[in-house]
Amino acid sequence: MSEEKKPAAAPAAKPAKAAAPPDPRVVAATALADEIRASIEARHGAGAVEETGAAKTIPMIRIAPDKWRDVVTFLRDSEDHRYDYVELMAGTDYKDYIELVIYLYSMKRDAYITVKTRTPRDAASLPSLTPVFPGVNWEEREVYDLLGVHFEGHPDLRRIMMWDEWKGYPLRKDYSDFDNIPTRGGEPR
Amino acid sequence: METLHSEEMILNIGPQHPSTHGVFRLVVTIDGEQIVAADPVVGYLHRGTEKLAESLQYTQIIPYTDRLDYVAAMLNNYALVHTVEYAMDLEIPERAEYLRVIVMELNRVASHLLFVGAYLLDLGAMSPFLYVFQEREMIVQLFNEICGARLTYNYMRVGGVKWDAPPGWLAKVRDFLPHMREKLKMYDALISGNEIFLSRVRGMGVITQEEAVAYSLSGINLRSTGLRFDLRKKRPYGIYDKFAFDVVVGQNGDCFDRYWCHFLEMEQSLNIVEQALESIPDGPVLGKVPKLIRIPAGEYYTSIEGARGELGVYIVSDGKDKPYRMKLRRPSFVNLQILSKLLIGQNMANMIAILGAVDIVLGEVDA
Repeated sequence: MSEEKKPAAAPAAKPAKAAAPPDPRVVAATALADEIRASIEARHGAGAVEETGAAKTIPMIRIAPDKWRDVVTFLRDSEDHRYDYVELMAGTDYKDYIELVIYLYSMKRDAYITVKTRTPRDAASLPSLTPVFPGVNWEEREVYDLLGVHFEGHPDLRRIMMWDEWKGYPLRKDYSDFDNIPTRGGEPR
Repeated sequence: METLHSEEMILNIGPQHPSTHGVFRLVVTIDGEQIVAADPVVGYLHRGTEKLAESLQYTQIIPYTDRLDYVAAMLNNYALVHTVEYAMDLEIPERAEYLRVIVMELNRVASHLLFVGAYLLDLGAMSPFLYVFQEREMIVQLFNEICGARLTYNYMRVGGVKWDAPPGWLAKVRDFLPHMREKLKMYDALISGNEIFLSRVRGMGVITQEEAVAYSLSGINLRSTGLRFDLRKKRPYGIYDKFAFDVVVGQNGDCFDRYWCHFLEMEQSLNIVEQALESIPDGPVLGKVPKLIRIPAGEYYTSIEGARGELGVYIVSDGKDKPYRMKLRRPSFVNLQILSKLLIGQNMANMIAILGAVDIVLGEVDA
């Protein structure tokens, strides 16, 4: 018995060791995210930011869904931020909610930031960013097509990869309807 | 006097049209010869790569990336393994990094060559397309020798590359460089000053800097407007900080600048290959990587300067050996959005000239 207990104690020591030196890049990114949070909250109220942290080494801010467009517009236009270039937009189904993330870059300040927001899976809906960044038009259409997020205020929201008769959202985790794919004529195979 | 009555007409181009570079459909509304509206329809090549990746281990995804931008597959390979390596903080053997840079830059040259040929073909000049295939064939042969495939390379691995260069391969690349430089001069002399070509592309499809940034354009589409934005310099990945090269920028953001940037970038790529050949060390080509690759839980995004722009891979991991979600930032897909804006008000005859200069590969647009 005592022999069996010894290896059980060993892994318990490991996490403590790993937690001891935090990555300085992550610490710096989190600190920067907190700074940006303060600046957003000064403008849009205390409830605008729900979470801060770091995505690997990039500052991460999670925004309340109803403030999504306002805060991103603020990050683009404010003199302190000037995040004027969208590098990436991606949606992910986390089973409890759908998360939309954009990676922003500031041409002027050479700085990066990750901004996210969450929306419930049933009745997934978010304000569209296309009026702010015309370059996310198709990205939002893709998220709508494959993940089923409705974008409020999008000028041209329709499927982009799948055809119009397609049922369901393929990138959702519970999507398994491969056998009932409608054909071009709209009838199941 | 009454004005002449005109009627709008809808013209469908594609999806199977030789000038759309693949299966791409464009529905244009024309009034006489003038384009009133253009609606690109994509998705004909959609294979669900992102969905497929969710049930594949990281090494198994690499061949799928070959099928995205199939004329620059080495860069796609690298974009994926680079994100995995970044997530795992892996050290890559020096020789592997050099080999990667050599094949990536050669692939960029091959891809740009194909652009030049195909663009001229779009504009009605048949022979340049056949000419550039001679040099492209040499590069493809070199790739065939190093990885056994001409188009779908599957060459990179997490932690390095699959094969070391076979004996004599580096010398062959070295011999290829002066030949390629000479041919570039010839093509330049044949094409760049051609009166007919110039009058088709000068001042055509102009993109301003503000538009380029707002539309998230990247690569040559962005640089042709004069913005010095190249990820190899802005955020040097791999060993790109070791090489001296210039970021090629345009001035006017028109079709000619986009063509011209492709040309000049080939020279810069050859310079990088030359420097890499000079200092490539001996050693292993694959680092110590666990057999089953697991990324720590979290989300990761890195991007590289692909042949067509910012090529990025976003991975959400839950700590397992397969990605929970993988999103590909495909430059062709993002760049193509500006097309409908560029076409409005243009003459119908200019449509192909503008589409061709955006430089898309449909495998990448549709993923």
